[in-house]
Amino acid sequence: MSLLTIVFKNLRHRPTRSLLTAVGITVGIAAVVALTGLASGFQKSWEDSYRARGTDLILARVTSRDPLPTPFSMKVTDTLRATPGITATGGVLVDLMSIEDSPTILVGGWEAHSFLWTHLHVDAGRLPAGENEKVIMLGSIAAEVMKKKVGDTAQLDTESFTVCGIYTSESLSENGAIVMPLGSLQALTTKEGMVNFVNMKVDPSLDPDELARLRERIEKQLPGFETFSTTEVSQANIAVQISKGMSVATSLIAVVVGAVGVMNTVLMSVFERLHEIGVLLAIGWRRRRIVTMILLESVVLSVLGGIAGTILGVIALRILEWTPILRGRIAPDLSFLVLGGAMAVSVVLGVLGGLYPAWIGSRMSPTAALRYE
Amino acid sequence: MTPPPLIEARSLTREYDGGAVVALRGATFDVRAGEFVSITGPSGCGKSSLLNLLGALDTPTAGHVRYDGHDLAAIDDLAAFRARTIGFIFQSFHLLPTLSAIENVQVPMLESGLTRAGRRDRAASLLGAIGLSHRCHHLPAKLSGGERQRVAIARSLANEPKLLLADEPTGNLDSASARSVMALLQQIHRDRGMTVILVTHDAQVAATGTRTLAMLDGLIVSDTAAPAHGSGQES
Repeated sequence: MSLLTIVFKNLRHRPTRSLLTAVGITVGIAAVVALTGLASGFQKSWEDSYRARGTDLILARVTSRDPLPTPFSMKVTDTLRATPGITATGGVLVDLMSIEDSPTILVGGWEAHSFLWTHLHVDAGRLPAGENEKVIMLGSIAAEVMKKKVGDTAQLDTESFTVCGIYTSESLSENGAIVMPLGSLQALTTKEGMVNFVNMKVDPSLDPDELARLRERIEKQLPGFETFSTTEVSQANIAVQISKGMSVATSLIAVVVGAVGVMNTVLMSVFERLHEIGVLLAIGWRRRRIVTMILLESVVLSVLGGIAGTILGVIALRILEWTPILRGRIAPDLSFLVLGGAMAVSVVLGVLGGLYPAWIGSRMSPTAALRYE
Repeated sequence: MTPPPLIEARSLTREYDGGAVVALRGATFDVRAGEFVSITGPSGCGKSSLLNLLGALDTPTAGHVRYDGHDLAAIDDLAAFRARTIGFIFQSFHLLPTLSAIENVQVPMLESGLTRAGRRDRAASLLGAIGLSHRCHHLPAKLSGGERQRVAIARSLANEPKLLLADEPTGNLDSASARSVMALLQQIHRDRGMTVILVTHDAQVAATGTRTLAMLDGLIVSDTAAPAHGSGQES
C-alpha cells in the first residue's frame, strides 16, 4: 500500500461525487481540446496554403487583417517584379461564394501562368489555359461536396463555368476550395484589375537580414502596403486571432469552472474526513503528507477527467471533420502541443482546486480534528 | 540506582478559551519505562487532556513534559517524534474506512522509510500476532468492534514505538471484547516490555495496569505508586 492507494480509495469511496466532478472536467477539457485544436489547425492550414504554393512573402494592405483583405490594384506587381530579390509574383483575388446547393466555398482567382498553379496535383482534367477562360478547378474535397466532375458546369453567381480540372493540394483549405483564372474571377466579381494579395517568391540565397531589408524596401516603395511572412500573415489574420482568442477564453473559463468544481468536491471530502486527518496527524503523518494526499486526490480527479476530456475532444473533432458542412473546411491540430497542453490544463486545474482544501486539512490541530465527529 | 523516568510531567496545566475552562491544574508525575499506568477518573476530569499532552498532540498552557530527558517543547518535528515513539489507541478506533485491516496497519509506516514490501510484511506479521490474519483484507465496516480495536492496536505497534497511549480503548466495546482487548494490551506490555498509559473511567479496566493515577477536576488525587515514583500535583 502506498499514498496513492489511499488517494484512489478515498476517491472511490464517494464514487458518484468523484464521477460527477470528473465528468465536469471531462466536458471542460474536451472543449479546450476542440477549440484549441480548431484554432491551431485553422492557423496551420492558413499557413500551409501559402507554403504549399511556395510563397515566401505576401503583400497586402496595411489595414487588412481579415481573411478577405481590401482589394487593391494589381499594378503594384510591376513594382515588385522590378525589385531585386523578388523572383516571381502571383496576384490572388479571393471571395466566398455560395455555389448551387453547396455550402459557402472559398473561390480563389490566381494569376494565370504564375507559380501559384505549379504545386497543384491535377487529379483529373487540366489547368486553365488563359487568364479569361471561363473555367474553374475544384479541389478534391470541393468536388466531392459539390458532386462535380470534369466537364460539368457550375453556376457561380450569375454565370456558368465549366469544371476543367480537379486537383489535390498539400493544403486542406485549398482542397476544399475552387480556383480559377484571376481575370475570370475579377470579371465575375466586377473587380477588374484588383487583387487581395500578391504572393512573392524571393531569391533563396537571401539571408534573414537581406530578407528583412528587402521587406523594408518594398514597404518604402509601396506606402500603405505591408509584407508578411507566411506565419505572420496567418497570425495577423483577424479570423485566426478571433479563433485563438476564443480558444484561450474558453480554456480559462474551463480552468476556473473546473477548479471550482474540484475544490468543492475535495473540500467536502476534507471536511467529512477531518477526524481521519486528525488520526493521521496523531499517528505521526507530517502536515506535508496531508497536503500531498489532498492535492493528489484533486490532481488525480482532474487528470482522469483530463484524459477522458482529451479523448472526447479528439472524437468530437473527428466527427466535426466528417460533417458535410465542415468537411474540407477544418483541419484540427491534434499535435502533442495541443493534447499535452490540455492535459497540462487539467493538472493546473487539479492543483488549483486542491490548494485550499489541502491548506484547510493541513492546518487542523490533531486534537481538534479528533474531536470533529 | 534507579533508572531515569521515561516520562516526566511537571506542573502540567491546560486551559482552554483563555482560561475560562481549566482542564489540568498542575499535574506532576513520572512514568518509568515498562510501566502500565491507568489514568482514571470521571468524565471531564482532564484525563484526555493529559493524554494529549503526554502524546505530544497538544501543548500545555504551563509546565512541561520530558520524554527520555528531552523536553517535548524543544522538539522541532513532533510529527516525526510521534511516528517514531508513540502508538495511539482511540476509543472510536479511528480506522480509515476505505482501507482494509492490513492497509490500516500500514498507514503509520508511510513515515517510517520502510519499503512497500517491508510495510506489507510487517503489517501481516502484526495482524498475525493478534490473531487477525484471516481478517487482513476486510474493511473496518466488516469487522466487529473488538476486531477493529485489535486492528487499531496492531496499527499502534506499526513503527515499534516505546510508548502506547490508549484513550478509553474499551469504551465502545461489549464486555467480552473489552476483556479480550485488555488481555491483548497486557500481553503487549508483558511480551514487548512496552510502557503503556491507558485512560479509562472504568475501575475494572484501570485495575489491569500496574499503577493507577486517579484524577478529579484537573488534579491527580491519588497515585498507587506514590510516593516511590514521586507523583503529585501542583495547583
